[in-house]
Amino acid sequence: MKELALKGIFFTCAFAFVLAVALIFIFVGWKAWPIVTDYGFGKFITGSVWSASKELYGILPLIVGSVIVTLGALALGTPLAVGTAVFLSEVASPKVRAVVRPAVELLAGVPSVVYGFFGIILVRAIVARFTGTLGFGAFTAWIVLGIMIVPTIAALSEDALRSIPEGIREASFAMGATRWQTIYKVVVPAAKIGIIDAIILGMGRAIGETMAVLMVVGNAPVFPQDIFSPLSTMTTQIVMDMPYAVGLHRTALFAMAAMLFVFSMLLVATVRLLSKLRD
Amino acid sequence: MSLILIALLGIAGCSGGKDASTKVIVSGSTTILPIAEQAAEAFVDENPDTQVLVSGLGSSAGIEAVSAGTANVGTSSRDLKPEEEELGLVDTPIAYDGIAVIVSPANPVDGLTSEQLQDIFSGKITNWSDVGGADRDIQLVNRDEASGTREAFKKIVMGDVSFDPAAAVLPGTGQVRDVVARAPGAIGYISAGFVTPRFTNVKVKAIDVDGVAPTEKNIGTSAYPVGRTLHFFTKGTPEGVTKDFIDFVLSDDVQKGVVVDAGFIPIAEGGGK
Repeated sequence: MKELALKGIFFTCAFAFVLAVALIFIFVGWKAWPIVTDYGFGKFITGSVWSASKELYGILPLIVGSVIVTLGALALGTPLAVGTAVFLSEVASPKVRAVVRPAVELLAGVPSVVYGFFGIILVRAIVARFTGTLGFGAFTAWIVLGIMIVPTIAALSEDALRSIPEGIREASFAMGATRWQTIYKVVVPAAKIGIIDAIILGMGRAIGETMAVLMVVGNAPVFPQDIFSPLSTMTTQIVMDMPYAVGLHRTALFAMAAMLFVFSMLLVATVRLLSKLRD
Repeated sequence: MSLILIALLGIAGCSGGKDASTKVIVSGSTTILPIAEQAAEAFVDENPDTQVLVSGLGSSAGIEAVSAGTANVGTSSRDLKPEEEELGLVDTPIAYDGIAVIVSPANPVDGLTSEQLQDIFSGKITNWSDVGGADRDIQLVNRDEASGTREAFKKIVMGDVSFDPAAAVLPGTGQVRDVVARAPGAIGYISAGFVTPRFTNVKVKAIDVDGVAPTEKNIGTSAYPVGRTLHFFTKGTPEGVTKDFIDFVLSDDVQKGVVVDAGFIPIAEGGGK
């Protein structure tokens, strides 16, 4: 009897969650739909001018902005994160690990607005001084976002590395391999799919990150001329325009949210597919 | 688990505290924020049973909030747009303000004409040497489209010409000021009341426009070309506590105190645009 009740409770929890996700998706899709009927999906996706005052809602520069910011952050953050994971799982003594690991976890818990504040006050000012620009742009966002995604990727990569059985390392040592050879020829390749999973989830965080990016990209909805000139991403543009958007403008924001939804679904699907490959 | 959730929801639901008849929600322009905040503080001191909540998300957001009924007062540093005039909003002007064009103190340029400003902000002129300054790229700092300051600047200076879309867009007056203060090539515009705020020693330089400096006197007499009126909008004629609060803002105490201290021109002194 008790077991049945517990089962019911857990089922309800899971079901309520799935229902919530479905409802959000339906709501966003429903609110976004007029972009197809009233504006034109092609014009929305391929238009290169985002200007609410001119009723032009082309999101191509914003998609490009999101991609530039995300890929750059991954390029900076991934080596740092995987290196940290290897260090924690293979190199560090238990004493050192006991210090570094909570530090990485702490980084994951810091609210993103704090990173943004640090980014705008410190990183932006330094970039501005060295480049003679305003310091807003892709480069500053890469640094801030690169640091932000390290904990996500590091924690998941470490799990992947730790799940490699000890026997494999011992076999490698028995063949006369050094510790370094064991790490980069045996353990890391064996954990490859898990690490890629981690990177993809880090990418999800980078694409969706809003607050910190908003504070350092400069929010100009154009194709950036270089990595030190202002740009805008899909998430930041939603935040900038949300307080006053009405009518078609609001619809365009919902359509952009739907695009982000689709992006993250594709990422999750990729992770699922990779996990299947591993099994 | 679900019990905890329900308990939390219960707490959240009750935290409203004071009821609608003693609460005024003021939302909108970041330019008006210091006036509204200090006036609210003084108002609540005098009327301890009341509560005044002030927030600043931009003038358009304020107008949107007051017409949607989520705020009692929408503050705006621009006039209503034609499509907003049918919303049934009642306008109470509360002060005049000039929009100062600011550059870094390191910039040798001391003044620009309206045409030069238009060319700079539309991206036609991109180097300071074209307007008598050093050979240095001009970095534009613009406000977001919800900003009343942007709307007023656009109307007065830009006319039908569009802003350069590649300009950095910052969501608040304070950020524009801070960024321009530290970048030798930057140019931006903020409310004249914010050029020398009391709580910072990071300096910006307000330049002359068409040969006129944005001083209080020049803004008050309309000699300075870039000026505007600051508004409180209400849905219909203000009533109850909302009316009391607006009357309080219009009282001599606030007008000659908070409004002047914040660097704005009291509504009774005429001028403006």
